[in-house]
Amino acid sequence: MDFDFTEEQEQLRDAVRKWVARSYAFERRRAIVKAGGFSREAWGEMAELGLMGLAIPEAHGGMGFGPVEAMVVMEELGRGIVVEPYAAVALVAAGVLARHAPEAVRQQWLPRIAAGEALVVLAHQEREARYMLRHVTATARQDGGQWRVSGAKSIVPVGDQADAYVVPARVSGQVDDARGIALLLVERGAAGVTTRGYPTQDGGRAAEVRFEEAPATLLVGPEDGHFALEEAVDVAIAAGCAEAVGAMEQLFAVTVDYLNTRKQFGVPIGTFQALRHRVADMKMQLELGRSMSYFATLKLGDDPAQRRRAVSQAKVQLGQSMRYVGQQAIQLHGGIGITDEYVAGHYFKRLTCLELSFGDTLHHLGEVSARMQDTAGVFA
Amino acid sequence: MDLNFTPEEQAFRAEIRAWVRENLPRDISYKVQNALRLTKDDMQRWARILGKKGWHGWAWPKEFGGPGWNAVQRHLFEEECALAGAPRIIPFGPVMVAPVIMAFGTPEQQQRFLPGIMSGDVWWCQGYSEPGSGSDLASLKTRAERRGDRYIVNGQKTWTTLGQHADWIFCLVRTSTEGKPQTGISFLLIDMKSPGITVRPIITIDGEHEVNEVFFDNVEVPVENLIGEENKGWTYAKYLLAHERTNIADVNRAKRELERLKRIARAERSGGRPLIDDVRFRDQVAQLEVDIVALEMMVLRVLSAERGGKKALDVAGLLKIRGSEIQQRYTELMMQACGPYALPFIFEAMEAGWQGDYVGAMHCAPVAGTYFNYRKTTIYGGSNEVQRNIIAQMTLGV
Repeated sequence: MDFDFTEEQEQLRDAVRKWVARSYAFERRRAIVKAGGFSREAWGEMAELGLMGLAIPEAHGGMGFGPVEAMVVMEELGRGIVVEPYAAVALVAAGVLARHAPEAVRQQWLPRIAAGEALVVLAHQEREARYMLRHVTATARQDGGQWRVSGAKSIVPVGDQADAYVVPARVSGQVDDARGIALLLVERGAAGVTTRGYPTQDGGRAAEVRFEEAPATLLVGPEDGHFALEEAVDVAIAAGCAEAVGAMEQLFAVTVDYLNTRKQFGVPIGTFQALRHRVADMKMQLELGRSMSYFATLKLGDDPAQRRRAVSQAKVQLGQSMRYVGQQAIQLHGGIGITDEYVAGHYFKRLTCLELSFGDTLHHLGEVSARMQDTAGVFA
Repeated sequence: MDLNFTPEEQAFRAEIRAWVRENLPRDISYKVQNALRLTKDDMQRWARILGKKGWHGWAWPKEFGGPGWNAVQRHLFEEECALAGAPRIIPFGPVMVAPVIMAFGTPEQQQRFLPGIMSGDVWWCQGYSEPGSGSDLASLKTRAERRGDRYIVNGQKTWTTLGQHADWIFCLVRTSTEGKPQTGISFLLIDMKSPGITVRPIITIDGEHEVNEVFFDNVEVPVENLIGEENKGWTYAKYLLAHERTNIADVNRAKRELERLKRIARAERSGGRPLIDDVRFRDQVAQLEVDIVALEMMVLRVLSAERGGKKALDVAGLLKIRGSEIQQRYTELMMQACGPYALPFIFEAMEAGWQGDYVGAMHCAPVAGTYFNYRKTTIYGGSNEVQRNIIAQMTLGV
């Protein structure tokens, strides 16, 4: 039981933090958001730092790091509210490929992802599924040895610019069956793929993606697809939790600074007890959130039942923390907090989007509730 | 980063667990697991069993006869005791006054007082709060005037927990009115059998006698009972506060009580079905589960830093607030689980071995009383609002 980071991890943190501070300052971020919410140039810089290969095995051109390193990077990207879809590509999709794809697919895609040359993302959201992962209406069938995918996926990260998608699609069974879901790789340039891109509330980019008999490569068969999808989503949740910790920490620091400088009635507003207690409560939510972000990351390697339970517990805490810290930061700033010009509102918007991603607080509370056991605790 | 305890720590835990299973009297753990009333004898019996093993002062260093455990080992000991249903160790002797005597007492004082604390034979209570001094403790007025080789103590202390059982009381007393209020306070050890001491019960809203008022009327205290220097008592009191460790979050007991809450919710019926299957209630329990895991993770982070000899994390103040809120929450949910069956107030039903008919079930008898009693947790030890002031001060720097 030890929560120290290794020297190597601290160096990684330092490198990412420096890049964010130097190269992803608020004005550049604003320009990237204005230009559509994704920057190939920034992506290339992150790849040069080696970040794209973080979770990719060394044999495939990556660094072969684990969940703790991913958490460190996500905290720092969150601190700078970096809009680039780093977790979606480098942790979630690359993770699915590295763990489950046939070797030929790995060789084809992983080195290019690690080099920052290929964007692959998970495309799983369906309109009527909400947060239920096994509700899959998209279909996959084999047509003379060639897999073909049909269906529609929503809010796919950088969906109109990605090179390929990891798509859950139903091979057999009813719409809510966990069995019968396969994961397939579909290239954006393939016949039958159409996209409609748009910006998201947090300054990022997503797309609606339609597949009509699109040729696909099987990654995970219908026996294990749902399991692999759950695993990918848990990786995404842990990454989102860490990102939220970084974002909350920075937003909290900005708020504390503001309270110490802004004067009303002739004194800094940070002298007012009503506001001071809010500061203490924000600190509480930040630290509870950080504790549970660690928990989610450290449980990613557990058996699936334990992992899912832990990740849901973490997402409940982080969801509550994000909402509280975000809302209170705006409130404590007063009017300036809701201007586009000022930084706080942009953190608030990112935190809000993170809460709604991969299962909101209510959803995960339901998951914890459904998985309730006699005992509870870190080691239960 | 690693969430698992080391093999050595796991072996340590197993050793503690086996010893507690062997030595914790069943009649006592039965009462604790069912929230029945504990007697002085129950509490002292357990204290003496621990004392014989040298564990009543479980956080003590070896040089004073303690086991010399590190922060993680102490936590594992506390957790094993709590989960097994051991009564809480009364902290006033081993946790509060002993570290002060070790740090600031003379060798004579150490030899005189520490063995009785470790053995569990001598019961201590705390004389801090006064009717006019709650959160503003430094405003205390109980006077100690030096006359030759004694102090003459006059005044009143209040909220003295279990003072009715105590042999000794450690007091903050005013020895000077010069300068700031903090600078005229001294730390005195007073024999509760001294002539002029009167203990008067305060009955709390659960009908129980847990706290007291203690009156001092020309009580003579030998000067050798002064700890450290005159007028330096505030420093020692602050040292004591700094020594109240992560255990203040009481997360181990919360885990045990969460299990009890689930037992109650499984036993209670709503429309003939187990209450635990009522999603609206069950989700409240799930939320508490999340809150407890988050608190435990925060405690473990503090322990990891402490064991590593690092600067303490600045989250310790948060632990008191969150821990006390969680304690209140589980008492609230247990009461809610019993619903109307929490209403009957049958005082004797909280005695183990009571032969009467429970209304509803035995587990319904104590829930309302515990809920009422636990409102104390966000008030004592520095109210949660005072804690927030301290956290804000640390965060804002002003």
